[in-house]
Amino acid sequence: MTSELSVPALAVESLVVHFPARHGPPVRAVDGVSFSVAERETLGLVGESGCGKSTVANAVVGLVRPTRGEVRVAGTPIAGATTHTLRAIRAKAQMVFQDLATSLNPRMTVGAAIGEPLLVRGLARGRALEARVAALLSEVGLRPEHASRYPHQFSGGQRQRIVIARALALRPTLLVCDEPVSALDVSVRAQILNLFVELQQSHAMACLFVSHDLAVVRHVCDRVAVMYLGHLVELAPRDALYATPRHPYTRALLAAAPEPDPELQRAKPRVPLQGEIPSPAAPPPGCVFHTRCPMAVARCREEVPIWRPLGETMVACHRAEESPA
Amino acid sequence: MAAALEVSGLTLAIGGVNVVDGVAFSVAPGEVMALVGESGCGKSITALALMQLLPGPVRRTAGRILLEGEDVTSLPERRMRQLRGRRISMIFQEPQAALDPLSPVGAQVSEASGLAGGEAREAVHRMLTEVGIADPLRRIDQYPFELSGGMCQRVMIASALIGRPAVLVADEPTTALDVTIQAQILDLLRRLAAERGTAIVLITHDMGVVADIAERVAVMYAGRIAEIGSTTAVFARPRHPYTALLLAAIPRLADVPKSRLAVIEGSVPQPAEYGPGCRFAGRCPFADAHCAAEPPPLRETEEGHSVACWHTERLA
Ligand SMILES: Nc1ncnc2c1ncn2[C@@H]1O[C@H](COP(=O)(O)OP(=O)(O)OP(=O)(O)O)[C@@H](O)[C@H]1O
Ligand SMILES: Nc1ncnc2c1ncn2[C@@H]1O[C@H](COP(=O)(O)OP(=O)(O)OP(=O)(O)O)[C@@H](O)[C@H]1O
Ligand code: SF4
Ligand code: SF4
Ligand SMILES: [Mg+2]
Ligand SMILES: [Mg+2]
Repeated sequence: MTSELSVPALAVESLVVHFPARHGPPVRAVDGVSFSVAERETLGLVGESGCGKSTVANAVVGLVRPTRGEVRVAGTPIAGATTHTLRAIRAKAQMVFQDLATSLNPRMTVGAAIGEPLLVRGLARGRALEARVAALLSEVGLRPEHASRYPHQFSGGQRQRIVIARALALRPTLLVCDEPVSALDVSVRAQILNLFVELQQSHAMACLFVSHDLAVVRHVCDRVAVMYLGHLVELAPRDALYATPRHPYTRALLAAAPEPDPELQRAKPRVPLQGEIPSPAAPPPGCVFHTRCPMAVARCREEVPIWRPLGETMVACHRAEESPA
Repeated sequence: MAAALEVSGLTLAIGGVNVVDGVAFSVAPGEVMALVGESGCGKSITALALMQLLPGPVRRTAGRILLEGEDVTSLPERRMRQLRGRRISMIFQEPQAALDPLSPVGAQVSEASGLAGGEAREAVHRMLTEVGIADPLRRIDQYPFELSGGMCQRVMIASALIGRPAVLVADEPTTALDVTIQAQILDLLRRLAAERGTAIVLITHDMGVVADIAERVAVMYAGRIAEIGSTTAVFARPRHPYTALLLAAIPRLADVPKSRLAVIEGSVPQPAEYGPGCRFAGRCPFADAHCAAEPPPLRETEEGHSVACWHTERLA
């Protein structure tokens, strides 16, 4: 857990990312998000399509420029960093994407792909590089002789292992994973989730784990942040979030996630959320969730709920103390 | 009750390989049956075979498809075209892509109704209301791009059901949708099956969706049915090693976090890698020489629960 003295592996403060639109107002993809990830901690970021998860992840690794706010990796701010510092930060914060097809160059051997970050930075070459690549391959459950093969010779799960090995090459202090298992078949997804848990134990590494799957996030994360329409609505230690969700949206997400157990699933109270997610170019005033919230009252339509602590939880809801309606 | 749909021995080949091999199941009126399996196991081409809409390279080489007792495999395309939308309909994963982008959604539903004029307009209005589209009068004149994914899927369901078909084939109807919208669509399908008596074949790769909505489930692996039975029985007492491992590989909200998930070694084989025996043999912890040599037939292990495995006793 975060101690007063240690610098968090990642600190995101009042992050705002707006994308200009050709017509009309900008898309407010991320609209004032703050959180931190402690050393060795895995923070899950969940929410539905378009809520801004990938934009947060991209801003953290410097792929998207914040409109406002600050991102610090191991204490170093990304904005305004010199090219030299930025290079150092990029080495510390590595990203793993969902899209396996575009994550690897089809004409590069797996060994060359994994070794590239080391070679480019002049950190290893020749025999030393080969040895390091072999070690990385075994860390992710592949064999050293796989280094000479090409990506198409591997299955989806194996390719995701290769992508992870490449991300680990520079021994990052922070791994940012955007839906790393969403494209994988169930039987293969379990292999990669087990690998993640092993890596958490063997590497002193923090992780920001983006996913829309609540069960996956619960399985690998220590704390979980829930996002809706560009805002964080709740952030809590894993067990608190799943046992006593404070925000009506968190409760709705949990209720909607189908459990692979017919008896549990059919006994669940059915309170489907009404309506659809509003456009992030024209978010509702007041609480952004009020158009779909079963607990909304007049105040919610006017007054933005502040991000505040409630026990171990951070939550943005006027009625967070109340039990569900 | 007579089955709305009865499929037997359905075999589909691409090149020389049977990518769907001897698939058999039946669905009663008002029943939801799930066809579940991992990517490439043959769910979608099975669905397209039911519609008699197989893509070029895929050939049906054996099997019967009885729609309310009538074998549709021998029907000429002209007859089949009359049945689509009236006796059997299909909806797809990407509703936005399946709708015509240049035509207002009301007109698309209307076209599927086969009615004309005021009668059609009234039927469309009723159908859009039934699938939970608020403000249908306004929506009728809108184009697909003006609607959200969930709304487009409702429109698709409306066009599929306006002709009152006996069977609805839904190929991953909620995969592209968010969980809160998925819950709305599953509720809608459940209600339509119960109220209209529509038999639904629901294709999915998500065991949570199966647990939610299906009375019965057929688990497919590499083109064959591995196990079929009531959803409660298959989840509580899986008798096929693949089903058992698959269920244990899914993280659940009730598990111990960071505990080791069951793993199925290797990955799903490509059709070119299908061997002569059980297609799960390369990954199965119980496989022996017999398994690799001869495909196990689907046999009933208890009333209404059938399994294709030589060693069902290993999981008893
Ligand atoms: N480069 C961009 N230009 C304009 N709009 C963008 C851009 N990137 C993202 N957006 C918009 O910003 C919003 C947030 O997108 P983002 O990809 O961060 O969501 P997400 O939570 O990752 O969604 P998903 O679960 O679908 O991946 C969306 O409305 C999206 O359309
Ligand atoms: N039009 C086509 N041409 C050639 N091969 C095809 C075609 N459609 C499907 N196949 C092959 O047939 C097999 C079954 O494919 P199908 O699309 O039915 O799988 P699926 O179970 O629906 O998978 P997914 O979950 O990915 O949708 C696969 O090996 C696939 O590559
Ligand atoms: S502030 Fe109001 S609308 Fe927003 S989540 Fe809380 S109760 Fe619902
Ligand atoms: S037949 Fe053999 S290989 Fe196939 S599932 Fe049964 S035990 Fe495993
Ligand atoms: Mg994303
Ligand atoms: Mg498919």
